[in-house]
Amino acid sequence: MDRRFKARLDARFGEVLRGPIRQRHDETEMRIGPGDVVPVMTALHDDPAFRFEFLADLCGVDTGDVMQAVYHLWSDVTPDWLRIIVDGLSRDDPRVPSLTFLWKGAEWMEREAYDMFGIIFEGNRDLRRIYMPPDYTSFPLRKDFHLPDDAARSPGGGVRHMEQAHLPTDTPAAAIRRTPASRQLPSR
Amino acid sequence: MTAISRSWNRLTLPGKVIFTVVPALVVLTIGLVVAIAILGGPALDLVVANLPIVRFVVAATAILLMTIPTAFLIIYMEMKGIALMNLRIGPDRVGPFGSLLSVVHGLKVLMKEDFTPTGADSVVFTWAPVVVYLASVMTLLVIPFGPGLVGQHFQLGLLYFFAISGLSVVGLLMAGWASFNKYSLLGGLRSAAQVISYEIPLVLSVVGVIMLAGTMDLVVIVENQAGWFTDWYIWQQPLGALIFFIAATAEANRTPFDLTEADSEIVAGFATEYSGMRFGFFFFAEYVNVFIISALTVTLFFGGWNAPFPWPWPITLDLNPGSLGIGLLFVVALVPLALTLILATPFWLVSSRIKGWQALVIGFVLANLFLVGAVAAAGYIGFDWVAGLAWFMLKAYVFVFIFVWMRGTLPRVRIDQLMNFAWKWLMELAFLNIFITAGAIILIKYLNPEALP
Amino acid sequence: MTTTRRPSADDPRVMLDQELGVFEPVPPYPPRTEREAEFYTLGDGEMFINMGPQHPSTHGVLRVVLKIDGENVVDLDPVLGYLHRGVEKLCENADYHQCISQVDPLEYVSSLFNEWGAVLSFEKLLDVQVPRRAEYIRVLSAELNRVASHALFMGWMALDLGGLTPILWSFIERDEIVEMLASLTGQRMLFNYFRIGGVNGDLNHDFMSRLGNWMSRATEQIEANTGLLNENEIFVRRMRGLGTIDTPTALRMCFTGPNLRATGVPFDIRRAHPYSVYPELDFDIPTRDEGDCLARYLLRVDEVKQSLRIIDQCLHQMPDGPIMAKLPRLLRPRPGRAYSAVEGPRGQYATYVMSDGTDQPYRMRIHDPSFIHLQSVGLLMEGNLIADTMAIMASLDPIMGGVDK
Repeated sequence: MDRRFKARLDARFGEVLRGPIRQRHDETEMRIGPGDVVPVMTALHDDPAFRFEFLADLCGVDTGDVMQAVYHLWSDVTPDWLRIIVDGLSRDDPRVPSLTFLWKGAEWMEREAYDMFGIIFEGNRDLRRIYMPPDYTSFPLRKDFHLPDDAARSPGGGVRHMEQAHLPTDTPAAAIRRTPASRQLPSR
Repeated sequence: MTAISRSWNRLTLPGKVIFTVVPALVVLTIGLVVAIAILGGPALDLVVANLPIVRFVVAATAILLMTIPTAFLIIYMEMKGIALMNLRIGPDRVGPFGSLLSVVHGLKVLMKEDFTPTGADSVVFTWAPVVVYLASVMTLLVIPFGPGLVGQHFQLGLLYFFAISGLSVVGLLMAGWASFNKYSLLGGLRSAAQVISYEIPLVLSVVGVIMLAGTMDLVVIVENQAGWFTDWYIWQQPLGALIFFIAATAEANRTPFDLTEADSEIVAGFATEYSGMRFGFFFFAEYVNVFIISALTVTLFFGGWNAPFPWPWPITLDLNPGSLGIGLLFVVALVPLALTLILATPFWLVSSRIKGWQALVIGFVLANLFLVGAVAAAGYIGFDWVAGLAWFMLKAYVFVFIFVWMRGTLPRVRIDQLMNFAWKWLMELAFLNIFITAGAIILIKYLNPEALP
Repeated sequence: MTTTRRPSADDPRVMLDQELGVFEPVPPYPPRTEREAEFYTLGDGEMFINMGPQHPSTHGVLRVVLKIDGENVVDLDPVLGYLHRGVEKLCENADYHQCISQVDPLEYVSSLFNEWGAVLSFEKLLDVQVPRRAEYIRVLSAELNRVASHALFMGWMALDLGGLTPILWSFIERDEIVEMLASLTGQRMLFNYFRIGGVNGDLNHDFMSRLGNWMSRATEQIEANTGLLNENEIFVRRMRGLGTIDTPTALRMCFTGPNLRATGVPFDIRRAHPYSVYPELDFDIPTRDEGDCLARYLLRVDEVKQSLRIIDQCLHQMPDGPIMAKLPRLLRPRPGRAYSAVEGPRGQYATYVMSDGTDQPYRMRIHDPSFIHLQSVGLLMEGNLIADTMAIMASLDPIMGGVDK
């Protein structure tokens, strides 16, 4: 938990942050909007005070009402992982600038995020599906995409014995599962 | 008629077999006897008049038939040898130590569905394996297996050998092209390029031997190496032998030059679309090729059928079994029996776990082995061709083992490294070898005019 | 000139409705992206070759479309998804404990690292302190798994180049290690051993005796196994200078692990971002400078030696104590996010977990090193031959279970 690093980030990027920088264990997390991705990432990559030359991970998240793109970076100026959450992507047309101009290796990670969530990375030269067949129409990791056994527990199931999904109902886990299928993150 | 069909239907399968085969055999035998009686005399005259042709036909048939057990044996050697080098067991179940496995493989290959892929040129597709197989096997005609045991005694035997083995390129290209498959095409072209590239060093490396022997006749080359093992051409042509060995490995598509059948790259190369007996032909052709190049190495550089020491042939054994008269009958009847009992008794006496009949079985087997050994020894001592054949086969199989050993040990060379090696290194070294040999011959002739033929 | 007789439409052997054409791996739809258009247009004299999902050499089910010009590979396009199981989605419907066994089959050759990555994230979310003995056992078993994975790599690398023997010798090593781990964890391959807060079972006598046996012979065995290849002219000639990558390109392609260290960067998560008890252990980070296939191969051999050092130290420094932290059965971490990375045998294996307060993770993102490295095969293949495709892919050591998740 590097407090000085948080201070430096606040000083440099304070205006574009969409929330306070949070730190927990060895991770520092900041939230920005999709329009600020290019300047922020370029600064983090090129600026000698930060030198985040290593992109550890790039993924998409579906929080129920918005989509996010999450980047994890590593630099040797700080012992923390830096997590950048690009927040506020709409569910109908999520668009983020692509990071392939800095890291060519982000191409396939963005392809995967597109395949699983439908997030369009503008500037990625190869944004096609990577896991699913090319004519697939859904985005599997979205929260409104139900796995078959989830759908079997839908409240609209039939009345007859055959139309019910007979799963144990008395365990604590089942009680939690009785909430609607598209769960939402508590807003924090 | 219905009586016959009814009684036929009542027979079981063995019954049907017997009632078909036995009358057929009887008819065949009677017919054969009649044919011999009527036509025997003129036929024999015809054969005697055309003895060379008949001899050639018999020799060619024998050679063709011999390739199959040879291929089986080499396939088994390879499977078992590589397995033991890999610290595995290898074939284990079929036959003692898995030795019948290659026979089973041969049968399997015959039983597989033999299809032609759609779009393939079926005539070329069918004839490609035949061309490859024949190009390999026809070369066996000139290799001397023993004194007097050569299919056809050509004075240009070595030229014939290289000419015929070069025809395999045509077969490879046919296979690659006719398969209507990009992998096969690539594989076929790579194979053809490889074989053609290595033919030049192959042929050039034996020019030294030709100069030393003064002839291309393989029989004469072997006869020149008679005597002690120091007379073998390997000592006089070490560089040539090395180049020949490497080039021959590449010709036969063996590791480290086996990229045409590299299954980690191009599945099976030109043979991807082949199945059943057609693939069997390619398979056999490759293993017979291994035997052929081993045989040629032995012939050219390691003395052919000569033993490593000189042997005064023929040694006649003063055995005259006919002098025993009626006693011969008793000998033939009693010797095996006596041998069985003599060899069985120690086993029966030594261990109480071996019962009487088991000891007799062991004794019988040992007696057979003893008699076979005795006959072989008598053949070896008495007939020079038996000894020559034995030594030739031993030496050839040593080289076959060396090829198997290389396959188990070495990784593969890449196509461009392979071509580089052939054109930039081996060919130059072969030329160098020719010049050195020629220079040495001239020098020795100058210093000692009677030394060389 | 023979004409090819094409079978007619009513020939029963032809099962196609349309006329028999030439089967190209070009997709039957117009190109959707720039790169697809660039790749699937043929230049002069080029053709496509499909190294299909069924192939004796790709490291799992992977389809690679090669655009070749004679023997030279001009471009290549890997097609993934044949082993996609939807692990991330399944983890969203599973408990935290069940996630560990869901995550096992990703890089199935080195399962313990998959579990470790997941378990570290969960422990961060739950603020669990793992007992020291459990940490030491984790390090010990994981380093054994690293040796087993590298043994597989060495054998497989040789097999892709044509040597039939080294893979079987390496598998003797791997078999011994896997039997050891079976006596410890109960399974030979997908171990399901790590738990949130510790490990499943303590060291037992069988494991210790097997480990002792193996350790006493390990160094000579590795020397013997690699001695067959390290000096072999054919092997070295095929690998030296092949698939060279320099450090800036490697960082741009997000390389990690031995592939990055072979370019000269001493980045190892065990030292750069230490987790577990690695700060207390003494080991070096081997690096090599050339960045070619041979460097990657030799580097992994060096790493095996370092792993042996670590295992030795673990055995000597093993503390007593419990092997599991005390945790409730129903785990409900408070809402939050956690990211953790471990140094697997292939590179950085990371997980990013989001919790919403229930007993199932809200989002479980798994970052797999093989996925990243496979991207760069096209980059490394410039101007090389088809035979080198296999060599380069093998030297990057991808495991398709991880690539396809």
